[in-house]
Amino acid sequence: MATPTAAQRYAQLSGPIEREEYNFRHFRTKHLLKDAQATIRGNGIRPGELAPDFELLRSDGGTLRLSELRGRPVLLHFGSRT
Amino acid sequence: MDVLIRQAHPGPDAPPYDSLAEKLRDAERYRHEEGIPWPVLVDDLDGTVHQAYGGLADPSYLIDVDGRVAFYELWTHAPTLHRAIRELLARGGRGVVLGGIDRRPHLLPALTAGWRALERGLPQSYLDLETASPGAATVTWLFGKLRPVLAPLTLRATPLPRSARLALAAGATALAGLAAFGIRRAMKR
Repeated sequence: MATPTAAQRYAQLSGPIEREEYNFRHFRTKHLLKDAQATIRGNGIRPGELAPDFELLRSDGGTLRLSELRGRPVLLHFGSRT
Repeated sequence: MDVLIRQAHPGPDAPPYDSLAEKLRDAERYRHEEGIPWPVLVDDLDGTVHQAYGGLADPSYLIDVDGRVAFYELWTHAPTLHRAIRELLARGGRGVVLGGIDRRPHLLPALTAGWRALERGLPQSYLDLETASPGAATVTWLFGKLRPVLAPLTLRATPLPRSARLALAAGATALAGLAAFGIRRAMKR
């Protein structure tokens, strides 16, 4: 089975947050509620499912594709500087 | 690996990203400031990868050797992640571990370590958080100040040893007992 890509999964989202709203200017109560809602619903990729593949730029140059790391366990953290 | 997403608590010195080049520069700053030893990747401006993975708050995914999700958690909590990694390695790197999802909001680590992030967006990040959730920014500041005392408990990389957990539970029970005793005495007077 071919691994789905993050872009394909994003395209299938029922209501992806638009760019302007995703990069919000002010942290508001609605963002907090959205976080809580996503937690309760378990919005993430279900355990046992294939992790959607992606290729992204590295901050220190070049790119990295998730599927290149197949064969070893991977820890993937989503972080913000603020 | 880390994937840099949007500014969670923007401010004058940390405005929302409006170009990939700017996000890339900030990712390199983030890597240096936090001393991250693994690759830091940069999601696009739409947050395609972040949103495809559920758009969650501070999540960590553990992916097994076959490329399947073994475990994920929100509000990344190092001791839980440590247990998940150990269980995955013990199983030869394959399968679902610790029931697959940890949905507990690990607020204590976030409150103890959060000031460093909030500080980068001052003063707006503080005012916005305090407006969105009254008290949260102030508690984060206070916990940041108490960090040297709290860190051994709330910012652990590994789970607390069983003996320490028992001692803490015993201490809490004793304190609750003393408080109940004090209240009863005060009420009798």
